[in-house]
Amino acid sequence: MLPYSPWLVWIVPSLASLFVPIFAKIGHKVRDYFVVLVGLFTFIIAASVVPDIYFKTIEVPMDATAPWIPGLGIQAGVLLDPLSVLFANLIAFLGLIVLIYSLGYMSKNEGLTRYYFFMLLFIGSMIGLVMADNFLQMFIFWEMVGLCSYALVSFYYQRAEAVKAGMKVFLMTRVGDICLLAAIAILYANLGTFSFLESFAQVEEMGKLALSFLSFASFLTLIGAVAKSAQLPLHTWLYSAMEAPTSVSCLLHGATMVKGGIYLIARTHIMFNTVPMWLTSVAWIGAITALIGATLALHTSDIKGVPAYSTISQIGFMMAGLGAASSPLASGWFAGIFHMLSHAFFQGLGFLAIGSIVHQLGTRDMRQMGGLRRAMPISFVLCIVVILARSGIPPFSSFFSKGLIVNSILSEGNLALAFLIYGAAAVTFAYSLRFLILTFIRPESDYVSSIHVHEAPRIMWLSSSVLAVLCVVLGVFEPFLAGFMRVNVEVGLSELTSFSSLIFLLVLFVGGFPTYLAYLRKPLMLDKIRKSKMASIDKVLERGYYFDIVYDKVLVNGFVKLSSGVYRYVETLALERLPYFVARGARRLARGTHMYADAFLDRICYVIAGGAVRLAKGTHEYADALLDRLCYVAAGGAVRSARGTHKHAEALLDNLLYLIAGRAVRHGSRIRKVHTGSLPHFVLAAVLGFLFLCILLLLTVFR
Amino acid sequence: MALLFSLLIPCLATPIAYASGKKSSKAAASVVALVSVIDLLLLYTTVPAMQANGRYVESYYWMPMLGSTFTLFVDGISLSMAVVTLTLIFSAAVFSMNYMAKKKTLSGYYAMLSLLMVGLVGVFITSNLLFFYFCWELMLIPTYFIIGGWGYKEPYRAAFKFFIFTHAGAVFVLLGIGAVYMLTGTLDMFQAKSLLANAAPDILGWVLAAFTVGFAVKMAIVPAHMWLPDAHSEAPAPMSAILSGVIIEAGAYAILRVSLGTVFTSLPATEIGSPFLHVLTIFGVVSAFYGAFTALAEKDIKRIVAYSSISHMGYVLFGLSLFPFSEGITGAVYHLVTHGVSKGLLFLTAGSIMMQTKVRNIDEMGGLAGKMPFTATSSAIAAFSIAGAPPFACFISEFLIFIGGVQAGGTDSFYFLPTALMLVATVFSLAYVLRFFWKVFLERSKIKKVKEAPISMIVSMGILAFLVLLLGVWPQNFIDLISSVSF
Repeated sequence: MLPYSPWLVWIVPSLASLFVPIFAKIGHKVRDYFVVLVGLFTFIIAASVVPDIYFKTIEVPMDATAPWIPGLGIQAGVLLDPLSVLFANLIAFLGLIVLIYSLGYMSKNEGLTRYYFFMLLFIGSMIGLVMADNFLQMFIFWEMVGLCSYALVSFYYQRAEAVKAGMKVFLMTRVGDICLLAAIAILYANLGTFSFLESFAQVEEMGKLALSFLSFASFLTLIGAVAKSAQLPLHTWLYSAMEAPTSVSCLLHGATMVKGGIYLIARTHIMFNTVPMWLTSVAWIGAITALIGATLALHTSDIKGVPAYSTISQIGFMMAGLGAASSPLASGWFAGIFHMLSHAFFQGLGFLAIGSIVHQLGTRDMRQMGGLRRAMPISFVLCIVVILARSGIPPFSSFFSKGLIVNSILSEGNLALAFLIYGAAAVTFAYSLRFLILTFIRPESDYVSSIHVHEAPRIMWLSSSVLAVLCVVLGVFEPFLAGFMRVNVEVGLSELTSFSSLIFLLVLFVGGFPTYLAYLRKPLMLDKIRKSKMASIDKVLERGYYFDIVYDKVLVNGFVKLSSGVYRYVETLALERLPYFVARGARRLARGTHMYADAFLDRICYVIAGGAVRLAKGTHEYADALLDRLCYVAAGGAVRSARGTHKHAEALLDNLLYLIAGRAVRHGSRIRKVHTGSLPHFVLAAVLGFLFLCILLLLTVFR
Repeated sequence: MALLFSLLIPCLATPIAYASGKKSSKAAASVVALVSVIDLLLLYTTVPAMQANGRYVESYYWMPMLGSTFTLFVDGISLSMAVVTLTLIFSAAVFSMNYMAKKKTLSGYYAMLSLLMVGLVGVFITSNLLFFYFCWELMLIPTYFIIGGWGYKEPYRAAFKFFIFTHAGAVFVLLGIGAVYMLTGTLDMFQAKSLLANAAPDILGWVLAAFTVGFAVKMAIVPAHMWLPDAHSEAPAPMSAILSGVIIEAGAYAILRVSLGTVFTSLPATEIGSPFLHVLTIFGVVSAFYGAFTALAEKDIKRIVAYSSISHMGYVLFGLSLFPFSEGITGAVYHLVTHGVSKGLLFLTAGSIMMQTKVRNIDEMGGLAGKMPFTATSSAIAAFSIAGAPPFACFISEFLIFIGGVQAGGTDSFYFLPTALMLVATVFSLAYVLRFFWKVFLERSKIKKVKEAPISMIVSMGILAFLVLLLGVWPQNFIDLISSVSF
């Protein structure tokens, strides 16, 4: 193991993606080789861990952590165990192959910097997803691969279909993502940890987590996995994702990203397998999807539709296998993983080979193809390998993996599931054969003869051939894989001669023979079927079991209508105008109040003023009269009193004068009578008399 | 003294920006940018003291008649908000160098921007309720003039609407402040907190309601959101970035700091407390959906972004209603940070598009990704952050809010349904973001001759885009800061 390889294996491609635009400035060749080198380096790091796991030189599961958000006790970490290492190697390896393939396939496109940026970011995120040791980190990468998927599906962003497909892919998987997020939140709120190992340990101790919470979490996780892995009923996005360049379809929508759900189920299997109905649901969803996906692949006329629906169907097989296992040590679990691996190789190869065809023909419509075996012999051989491996013809690997899946379902005693799986296997062979006949075997079509077709560039078929070799030999390496995964499942050559293999081959014949008849021997048979009572089936298949129609017409249109309704009626008509209504009302009220108040105030003013004036006038009149009278009275009184006073005072003073004068005369005569002849008496009398006179004089003067 | 200076310097810079703007508008922009950087550094110097004590406080003697001291403080939450504010003002100033170049009387614009800095930073770093109110109004006035003076079509109508609405909200706030002073005799929110416990709970309920209604208007919670789409879309793009990035978030900050942190903690939990929080939850969920639906139907590029702000304030209110669950509150406050930066960036890119295309209706755009690659990349980073996609910033905060929701559901089962609904709302967030990105940037180009934005706009968008990515990958610094505050 290279030092720090569990970390470097996802950090290197993620960080390297940031350098793609920088290297693109130097030159396009530099950028392309840099990207391939990063892919190679990533694969070397990933592969360096394999011997350690296989020879058991390191203790697994090995958990390494580093603080990330210490404030909340959230750590980043990597988990090293057979499952994560297997996935990481698969992703790194296929990533490398697809990057090399892209050198040829994408060479004539614009915007390659963006393409390689997102490819590297995807490889890094996808490996990060499987290496994460906790739910949070896994979820972050889970979303990041979704983001890369959106960007790559919308790669031809000037085409409306590609843009709409990208939006559909992102939105549909987001429905699953919020369920997974809710599951993670429930687990964290109850267990207090995001870590896988701690969660598993705590759940194993019964009583740590109430069963209701565990069931909620398990089924929400299942919805997340179903959406990511394009299982029923959330499968329709995968076909839309075929708008992406074929190399992207191969890596993201065939081999790795859609396996995210399988990884999630396989990873959390140990925690949720005790939840009632959970495993059964997984198995049934898988089996039904396997059959329905296969029938859709049988009907499509789009050459990329075949591997797309085939992927949906094959992942159904894996789900069925995982659901049939009672624990991660059971054969069904291993069968699911084993089938995942073989599917990654044959479907990856299928996409790459089809990519070569699309690259040459410039169309995806199989009805315009035919007779390509002469012009493209290498692609023909590769496609034969694909259909043999996909159908499970011995000794190809999926013969063993499908056999294991069926066996583990049968050992659980579920016959109905086994029938579904057998049916799906039969249809698988049928649609594979149909694809081969339509494109390669039947006579050359007008369109193909009208254009000059030749074999794909060497770099493209060389890189795909690596996958073809692996498809052929993988079956032989099954014991190695079982040892690597540390499960005790032996599949020997004796399996070939067993009874169940016989049934399996019989089933394939049942699927294959009618197809051979219908498409090669008697082409008119199909038209007859379409005109007969079977036409309704044809219609149902044509519309993909009405899933998309329901989603588009009911859900998407419904919400678009709802939002425009909210916008038009609530926002624009009601709330937007409400302030103006209020303002207008207030203004009117104010104006009215103003008017009335004015008038009212005016009147009050007039009333008051008028009253005041009247009051004043009245007051004035009365007061005047009163005052006048008062004045007259006062004045008259004063005059009269003055006159009276005058008269009385004069009389009084006269009387007083007369009195005094009379007295004085009387006194004088008396004094003369008494003191005649004495001088001093005269003098005294004269002085007194003078004083008297003076007083009298004064009195007279001041009169 | 650092905090006092962080308010005084932008105050003093206002006339300087005005004077230098008379000579050249770039000089004025540089003054504002420089001041915001100086303020950032000043705030940074308080960090060691703050981390040692949990809170760094400066007190000054002020208005002895009211017995109030003029108290400035920073703790983790205040600091985070102030940092976002200053970062956005810096970016807005740099962005304006090219963006506003053709407008007139820019000296006034930059002076107002500098004055706005005082109000905004002041709101986040004061614990004196009266000064808080002062700053609350101080951020209103420059905003009014900037929207009115340098806006688009009918700027003064939008500005007037903004002013009337938020001022009506402020009246409630003032009422609440008066009540707190009457009940406790202090205007300091931390002192009031301990004293309010003695007050009668039914009076406190009314105080809480007054504060929350007042702040919710600023936060543009449905149905008090009507001012927001007009104000955001009529304002010049840098002002929209600040409006959406900080000003409405000041409402959320105030709900947390005053409504919940000061008044609510004194209430008895069962009688008024949990019904109050449930009401907040319901308003949060309604806002989240309402904003998403209207954003999905709107055609004006800036109004889409504005409606998305309403939706995201719904997330924040939902997170705040999880009080006092630490994950929920941390998530809500971190969402203020991440949403501030992301939405600021989204408004700047929208402004850049409007400037280069002279078009506002997204139906008339399309195919701009090839012609404005840098704007398209920044816009994608901002938009997908808004949609809650990792590794961008808003994912972490939304995730924490959801964790908090489920945790709260463990003790109060009421929260399960709203949490589930909020998760569903993220699907609609993604839907309007995808529609926005598709209509603006993808498919065939409908407008000929579009050039990439000029350099200063690229620089400021680049800074924010880097921050959006950084806050998503390396959230620990802010989360440590925020979760260090306890209520």
